[in-house]
Amino acid sequence: MSMGCTWIVIPAYNEEHVIAGVVGEALRSGHRVVLVDDGSSDATPEIGARIGDVVLRHPINLGQGASLQTGITFALAQGADFIVTFDADGQHRIEDVSKLLDALMAHQADFALGSRARQTTNMPNSRRLLLWGATRFTRITTGLNVTDAHNGLRAMTRRGASRIRLRQNRMAHASEILEQIASSGLKYIEVSVNIEYSSYSLAKGQRSTDAIDILLDLCAGRLQQ
Amino acid sequence: MIVQLILTTLLSGVVLYAWQERRRSAMVASLALMAATAGLYLVWVPSHATTVAEWAGVGRGVDLIIYVWIVISLLVMLNLHLKLRAQLELITALARQIAIANAKTNSPEMKDASAGNEQKAA
Repeated sequence: MSMGCTWIVIPAYNEEHVIAGVVGEALRSGHRVVLVDDGSSDATPEIGARIGDVVLRHPINLGQGASLQTGITFALAQGADFIVTFDADGQHRIEDVSKLLDALMAHQADFALGSRARQTTNMPNSRRLLLWGATRFTRITTGLNVTDAHNGLRAMTRRGASRIRLRQNRMAHASEILEQIASSGLKYIEVSVNIEYSSYSLAKGQRSTDAIDILLDLCAGRLQQ
Repeated sequence: MIVQLILTTLLSGVVLYAWQERRRSAMVASLALMAATAGLYLVWVPSHATTVAEWAGVGRGVDLIIYVWIVISLLVMLNLHLKLRAQLELITALARQIAIANAKTNSPEMKDASAGNEQKAA
């Protein structure tokens, strides 16, 4: 089966220190790359425009979920056959993108979800505990038998991406995307990926207290439906 | 009697508000509608308010009415929060359109396409 046209979507907010390396590495994979700048106040969009493929810029900061949906909408409009979501803080490895795409085709699935269940580097215990709770919560609320709940590294087919419509602008989008995968009835698989936690990515990443915000956002989203 | 009339006017306003908001969130609107209707009933049949209050362990009927009013206020606040979220969704859709319409690219074929679009627009 042909790999078709693959777009890597990288949502970014104030990542001027690492974005050149992340986008550069993504481009070396040979896939198309769309950097979605979420209203950064630093030089992220300028650096992205200098070295990148395509840069989209939100006029105001909206959140990672909104950026992902912008990138997915754009990639679909460009005729993407596969779409990969990839974090901008340097914690994902480009080699894992190929693993996800290969797994999609090998299993004839529409979603390949990265999982930190086995391979992680430098994950703090507090993050491990939070991840455990979030995964149990996701299993109960979606019925998906996943081993990781908030991993930003995912691949999807065009058909799968067309079923995703993120309304949660901020971090609750990670749970929302799993809910939408569950309700789509399309096939999903998990692929073990390596997440490299650095002091930079930990400082930029979620705090334990963000779990409360995510829960409140999910409840409000349910009431709005 | 004056307080009963004031409360009736206010609670009737809440009933109308809840009915108007039923499309935004049916659950919040239903809860507000039920609380306001219960409030109206208790305002005009205060003896029942005392009976229900004693049964619920609140004590006085007037306290029960105050608690019902607090519940209504919280539901109205929740509805306002949902309205703000709906507004944010519209802003997000607008920001997304702006971002996609102003895509910056180093790809020659996409540059050609966007130049063609600009010429058509002109």
